[in-house]
Amino acid sequence: MKLRSFRVRIALILVLLTGSALVGFGAMSGWLLYNAKMSRLDEVMKIQLLRTARAQQRDRWLAYEELLPRIFGVEAETPTAFLIQDAATGAVVYQSRQWPADLDLAPLWPPPPPPTKTASPTQTPSTASRLLPRSKLKFSDPRLVTRQTTATTWRVGAATFSRSRVAIAISLRAIDSEMAAIRSTFLLSIITILLLIAGAAWILSGRALRPIRQLTQAIRQVTVKGLDQRVPVGDADLEFAALIQVFNQMLENLDRSFHHASRFSADAAHELKTPLAILQGELEQAIHKADRGSALQQHLSSLLDEVRRLSGIVRKLLLLSLADAGRMNLHLIRVNVSELLLQMLEDIELLDPSLTVEAQIAPDQWVLGDHDLLAQALHNLITNAVKYNLPSGWIKLDVFHSQAKVFVTVTNASKSILPEDRDLIFDRFHRGDAARTRHIEGTGLGLSLAREIVRAHHGDIALMPTPLGQVSLKLSLPLSNRN
Amino acid sequence: MHLLYVEDEKKIASFVNAGLKEHGFMVDYCDNGDDGYTRAMDNTYDAIVLDIMVPGKDGLSILKTLRQARRNTPVILLTARNELDDRLEGLNLGADDYIAKPFFVEELVARIHAVVRRSDGDRQNLLGVGLLKLDCLLRKVIYEDREVELTTREFNLLEYLMRSPGRVFTRTQILEHVWGYDFNPSTNVVDVCIQRLRKKLDPSDALGWVESVRGVGYRFRSPEPEL
Repeated sequence: MKLRSFRVRIALILVLLTGSALVGFGAMSGWLLYNAKMSRLDEVMKIQLLRTARAQQRDRWLAYEELLPRIFGVEAETPTAFLIQDAATGAVVYQSRQWPADLDLAPLWPPPPPPTKTASPTQTPSTASRLLPRSKLKFSDPRLVTRQTTATTWRVGAATFSRSRVAIAISLRAIDSEMAAIRSTFLLSIITILLLIAGAAWILSGRALRPIRQLTQAIRQVTVKGLDQRVPVGDADLEFAALIQVFNQMLENLDRSFHHASRFSADAAHELKTPLAILQGELEQAIHKADRGSALQQHLSSLLDEVRRLSGIVRKLLLLSLADAGRMNLHLIRVNVSELLLQMLEDIELLDPSLTVEAQIAPDQWVLGDHDLLAQALHNLITNAVKYNLPSGWIKLDVFHSQAKVFVTVTNASKSILPEDRDLIFDRFHRGDAARTRHIEGTGLGLSLAREIVRAHHGDIALMPTPLGQVSLKLSLPLSNRN
Repeated sequence: MHLLYVEDEKKIASFVNAGLKEHGFMVDYCDNGDDGYTRAMDNTYDAIVLDIMVPGKDGLSILKTLRQARRNTPVILLTARNELDDRLEGLNLGADDYIAKPFFVEELVARIHAVVRRSDGDRQNLLGVGLLKLDCLLRKVIYEDREVELTTREFNLLEYLMRSPGRVFTRTQILEHVWGYDFNPSTNVVDVCIQRLRKKLDPSDALGWVESVRGVGYRFRSPEPEL
């Protein structure tokens, strides 16, 4: 899956980059902050362990219990607790009210202290436990661990003195809630920053792409209006000015070669037409001078046919080359398509009297067009239908209009067009299979010329889907209303 | 009829001149645009045939200045180049007709008659040979006081042949005049149409108005039978 929009990609990449940097930075500083808070807690804990050892009176302990949250610098509701046991017997001397019953302290306190120095306490699995230098303290090293009970997570510190064992516990909820607050602030700001960055990237890339959009617009105008248009360089940025210049250069080359091509076909047509005109004129004269019905006259007459055929091809090729250059200039007048076709109906009968003709021609269908060229296009459609018909076949002609368009459909009995030939029928010099096998006269230019003519009139010709054994071509032209 | 013909291609000019004279036109010929322009302004012609591509003043500018000088002499343009452009410009400038090269002289003659008829009404309206009469304006055919119903194509064909009785027209010439140049010369449309025309004019075909010239084409029977 690839994002097609350059702008979206730019914005997304920027957001991903800054997002991951910010999250990494946040995680790092969160971890450092947590560690700092923990070690501060641990320091306070150690001092308090020493203090509890000194305070022996029970009423003092009660007050101390109240004071403990303040000593730790946490909120009063944060659960704190401490426990004092007799070192020798393990009996509870004092247990504060909040002391969690399910807190297992056994591993914290080493077994009753044997006087030997070698009995170093076994290391607790807790990672947070720390050891102070043994020599400075008279009591065993305080141990600090993190413990989980059903209610909450505790940080527990424990120390053994000569006469008593002391444990202080503070709920880590204090640190956790502080960290949670910091985390949510941080997350909120990351999201805000990312949104800002995405927006900024979107706007910036949009601004960066604006010259491209302008260029696209300009190029679109050029393709609509023709190759002689140029995109103005104006005050375009340096990078885009180069692009525009290259594009203009390309247009100029294209324009020139198009010019050459259409000049060439016009010149070629001229060069061909003059000798053809001479040939035809001389033949015409010779025919009239020859003895009537003589063999010479017959020969000359068949030569004249060939000259005529040749000039017909030259004319069609010239029209096609004009259409290619987009220079099929039309002498626009209002043309009655219905009338044109009614006239051509007569020709079908003359061309092949064996054909059955069925015509449904809506009267007075007007279009704005070039009378001669439209007549040629319609004529090509109809002679095509006659040429490729079956023996004693039929032709069906329909003329109607709908939604500001005039439609002419010409349907005829025919050998079906092979599916692979369907796309080729409008190709120049393409001739259907039937034409090759049955030696039908023609150049294969008729339909392609008809389509070019109709397209120059903003219409189209299409091959319609039909049942087997028939062929149907549909021509459409913009309707021209009577007024 | 008095014509001005401007054409620089000598070979074309020679057979066109010959053909036009055969049809009884008086032809004033010149091979460049400047002479053509002077003559067109100085004399009065029934029609002017102008090649577009001539040395000196070209055909289109001659036409333009003529029309600006309010000369309404019918003008037929001859063109060999980009037919569509020339035709468009020519018709916009006020040409009465145009013919693309290569063309048949017979066709040119028919067009000259048509534009002259259009420009000054009734002179050539009625064609008559014997009892057969053609009204080119009303497009009616009358034979022995009875009207014969002809289709458009049949009428155009008859008119074309009747304008030059005795002259042989090849199938291709007829095809081009009546049906335009899109038709393939090898179709038999002309023959079918001629047969129908004969039947309509004279069911028994005893008079033989339209004669076949074997292997060539057809002609209208001469007014003076060659005895």
